[in-house]
Amino acid sequence: MKIEGKYKFLASQEHIWDLFMDQKNLEKAIPGCEKMEEREPGKYDVLLKIGIAAIKGTYTGKVEVVDPEPPNRYRLLGEGSGSPGFVKGEATIEFSQEGQHTIVSYQGDMQVGGLIAGIGQRMIGGIAKMMAGQFFKKMAKQLKS
Amino acid sequence: MKPSAFEYYTASTVAEAIDLLERYEDEAKIIAGGQSLVPMMNFRVAQPEVLIDINGIKELDYIRQEDDEIVIGALTRETDLELSPLVQERCPILLKAVSLIGHASIRNRGTIGGSLVHADPAAEIPVAIYGLDAKMRVVGPSGERTLEPEEFFLSYLTTSLEPSEILVEVRIPVLPQKTGWSFVELTRRRGDFYIVAVASILFMEKGGVCKEARISVGGVGPTPIRAEEAEELLAGQVITDELIKKAGQKAAEAADPESDYHASAEYRRDMTRVFVQRGLTEARNTAKGG
Amino acid sequence: MAERRRITVKVNGVEYEREVDPKRLLVDFLRDDLELIGTHVGCEHGFCGACTVLLNGRSIRSCLMFAVQADGAEIMTVEGLAEDGKLHPLQEAFREHHALQCGFCTPGMLIVTYELLKENPDPTEEEIRLAVAGVLCRCTGYKQIVDAVMAAAPKMRGK
Repeated sequence: MKIEGKYKFLASQEHIWDLFMDQKNLEKAIPGCEKMEEREPGKYDVLLKIGIAAIKGTYTGKVEVVDPEPPNRYRLLGEGSGSPGFVKGEATIEFSQEGQHTIVSYQGDMQVGGLIAGIGQRMIGGIAKMMAGQFFKKMAKQLKS
Repeated sequence: MKPSAFEYYTASTVAEAIDLLERYEDEAKIIAGGQSLVPMMNFRVAQPEVLIDINGIKELDYIRQEDDEIVIGALTRETDLELSPLVQERCPILLKAVSLIGHASIRNRGTIGGSLVHADPAAEIPVAIYGLDAKMRVVGPSGERTLEPEEFFLSYLTTSLEPSEILVEVRIPVLPQKTGWSFVELTRRRGDFYIVAVASILFMEKGGVCKEARISVGGVGPTPIRAEEAEELLAGQVITDELIKKAGQKAAEAADPESDYHASAEYRRDMTRVFVQRGLTEARNTAKGG
Repeated sequence: MAERRRITVKVNGVEYEREVDPKRLLVDFLRDDLELIGTHVGCEHGFCGACTVLLNGRSIRSCLMFAVQADGAEIMTVEGLAEDGKLHPLQEAFREHHALQCGFCTPGMLIVTYELLKENPDPTEEEIRLAVAGVLCRCTGYKQIVDAVMAAAPKMRGK
């Protein structure tokens, strides 16, 4: 499944790059992220508790930052699994300056499987988009502080 | 798989249910028909610690007319909606929508309240509710409130119900005689979750002029949408084939669907156009037929 | 650990009193606690219809109900169709028209068609198809099932 979108931040590109590279910010912004530990530089173990309404699940996973080209782009690899199913994905995150704003755009591929896919295929794209939206909103909040 | 363990309570009044919800809050889930909840529990995608069974709240099982509204208790089974002469005569669009839900065995247990609170983006009843501008009456520890569809439905599987609130009633305005209506949906097989569903209502005045149109579309967003620009196109006009064609196109522009395993966004958007057109054509015919 | 509950259910005319864990699904109660293994577990999420039984006269998917919820109810399973060892006309028709191969969906098919003929003693082919659409059959292609019901209907009307 293809996922893509973009978000606008009122800040310089370098500032946004640093924001996204800071583990503390990611930990606060990733929806449901309870724990994020760096195993090796650029490789993180994560614990997520996410859900919609009655569908709650705990997922353990790995996130990896690859091919960083500061301050323009990097690739993100992720995978997680929990009792309701598994998620695997990769995305290219790109930063570009537009006047006073930095546009962060992402484009990637996501696979969702397991029981959650059996029950909710129709909603996964929308929910993924919602969570991406939540993530960017939280990142923007951290920009202000 | 089998569900995880839970504590089980039954409530025989609304007050009891609210009491239990207040006590257990986030840990508790209400079970009515269970046709959406139990599959999730069997897969352990939902694991409520407490289940509050409200099937015994007989006071919530009714269909009656109060002035110009059909008033339906939240616990009314979908099959009973189909069998009700009141619904058949005064609210045929709801009847049609309900008849397309799954299969008879599911409708025998499923309730109108459960369908609304579960807020599945591919459920039929919410689409009809948006088209009818029906109101949802909700009761909680601090009293009751009445919500419009846009206030009630927030997103995928999410309503604005507070943790201790329970939906008790749906109030549906009786449509005037000679109102055109239709409910159409696209599914691969009868009973599947639909790709798109469209509820159309045409309030008519003399001379075949449409006073007001309502077009509600499901399957193209986290909640049903009203295609307002398409509706405005029809208001005050005689409904011609050309106008129906344009309304379909406008409705497709209003849709913002996701791609998924079942259908791409482009397909859903195009099917919005097709099914709005089909729905409006059918509604125009029922208006003529009186 | 949830407390077990005492429930009383009447199944195929016989009353049973048992203690169950609230999370016990009705289908598992029927099969494992009452040893009525005619009802089948196919998908466990209400999709296949093999678990269909009659509850207080209406067909329901017994994998979507907890046994505790059936306290005080009257249930008919596929075992309740035959009388005194004699097959019900529907079962006879299924046999004659080869309406089953592996037999896994058959309990569900018999219950929904039994319900159909009770409410609609002279159904059209379309109405039969609508009734059986909710039970998934991978063997027969449905044609023989429809034929069987068409054949059983007049017999049940006494013709």
